Amino acid sequence: MLDEALRVEDVHLAYRDMAGTIFSQPRTIGFFRREETDPQKELFSNVNLVVNRGETVCIGGGSGQGKSALLRVIAGLIRPTRGNIFYFGEYIPPERLTALEVAKRQVGMVFQNGALISNLRVRDNIALPLRYHKMGTPAEIDEKINMAMDLMRVRDEADMFPHMLSMGMQKRVAIARSWAMDPKLLLMDEPTAGLDNYNRRNLLPLIDNMRTLFKTTIIIVTHDLMISKELDCNICFLHRKKLTSPESFDYWLHSDGEISKELFRDLRHSG
Amino acid sequence: MTLPARCFHSLGIFLLHRQWGQLCALFFKAIASLFSHSRSLKTDSRNIILQTFFTGVEVFPILFVVATLFGTIVIIEVISMMGKMGFADFVGSMIVVIIIRELGPILTAFLIAGRSGSSLATYIGSMVINSEVDALATMGVDPIRYLVMPGLIGGCIAMVIMNVFFSMSAIVVGFLVTKGAIVLSGNMLNIQLTWAYLSSEILNAISLSDFIFIIIKPLVFGAIITTNACYQALNIPRDVRQVPKATSRSVVKSFLYVVVADVFLSLYYFVEYMNNLSTLI
Repeated sequence: MLDEALRVEDVHLAYRDMAGTIFSQPRTIGFFRREETDPQKELFSNVNLVVNRGETVCIGGGSGQGKSALLRVIAGLIRPTRGNIFYFGEYIPPERLTALEVAKRQVGMVFQNGALISNLRVRDNIALPLRYHKMGTPAEIDEKINMAMDLMRVRDEADMFPHMLSMGMQKRVAIARSWAMDPKLLLMDEPTAGLDNYNRRNLLPLIDNMRTLFKTTIIIVTHDLMISKELDCNICFLHRKKLTSPESFDYWLHSDGEISKELFRDLRHSG
Repeated sequence: MTLPARCFHSLGIFLLHRQWGQLCALFFKAIASLFSHSRSLKTDSRNIILQTFFTGVEVFPILFVVATLFGTIVIIEVISMMGKMGFADFVGSMIVVIIIRELGPILTAFLIAGRSGSSLATYIGSMVINSEVDALATMGVDPIRYLVMPGLIGGCIAMVIMNVFFSMSAIVVGFLVTKGAIVLSGNMLNIQLTWAYLSSEILNAISLSDFIFIIIKPLVFGAIITTNACYQALNIPRDVRQVPKATSRSVVKSFLYVVVADVFLSLYYFVEYMNNLSTLI
């Protein structure tokens, strides 16, 4: 229990709950709206996942299976229709399960499009959460920002606005922003999507560094299955509304199941 | 649940399902976020000052022109009409009622709702669409505190200052323009107007409650406009077409709420008037 970073128990998500948190509406409304849903209208049902501290897990699956939605559920942006989520062994009851509450437990998230604040420069984007939470004196924060920018190699772009950067740069800045918060659990939504091969090759060692140097638990949602091989981590699939148990890349490559046939066919032929 | 608890619960749910209930909830949340745990005076004051400038200063030129022309019209009409009808004693109180008490705050509120409320709604709405608000929340930055609160406070401050500017420029610059019009037209309307007469009339007519309402009315209107703009913007489902709809809703609903609030605030004067009436009789 102690070395457990995340435990997802029996989580269901219906299509109607997918809009996510609407910050203008009081949470009470959603909480007291108790309707039974039939399983046909659920995006995924009965999802179980246990991730240990320091472990890296990839979540794969075809598009439209709800990978990103699962990640948003874990980040607290969507309240699950049913089910319990434990962060570092601590249970957050559904009436308090919000993104703010989850973020207090040092869970960071990297969005698919980066989601940088568009009216702040790169430096201020990274500094925003640090200054908001007053994590250290201004000098310490500056040092931290420079470190984060060096790590993700965006130091030269420090005074640019997000719209001046390419997609890959934005993604790296987003990762730097999450890293600067010292997350214990980092959720990444498609970190390599839209990156060229060169940037992708540069990004993977950075993720690897983060994992080995800072003992960060990382959950990566991706359709790029080679990530799990290159990072040497387990991969589980969201398939037909169910989440399979995490297994290694080689297991999936050589197994006989339906998922392997669908998703690993090309890899088998090439490798 | 016991019966009273159930009644209370259903009343609360009923209120929170109404739009104005959610508006009030958002307003109180924004006020409560002022006292939240992680507050840094520097960031907050910078955000609030930026928002005040954005709401107030940039709307100033158009507000100045509207106030001047409006003040000129009111002064000319009141003086010429009242003089003809033999109510020359009521010139000051008419100007106070029209400019300072009623139409000044309302017109300022309409201008600010049309310009700053709509731009606030578009700004936050695009942030919702680009999932920047979600990103803020996952970083532990409360969107209500980071986005709504500076807009609310800044909007209220700007509204108060702009309202004072509106009344002042309507009367002072309006007087100058009226003088100019009299000189240019060779006093066609036959108006006898001096600054001493106008100012003494206004100062005689104005009361302490007017001074209080000069502050209270814009505060209420500013809170309504900014809260409504933020509410409509944060309410957007993930759909780009909803941003212009939310913007227009923020403006139109602001107009409605401002007028309704104005009616309720004016009840004070009615009550005062009724009391005076009973003493007169």
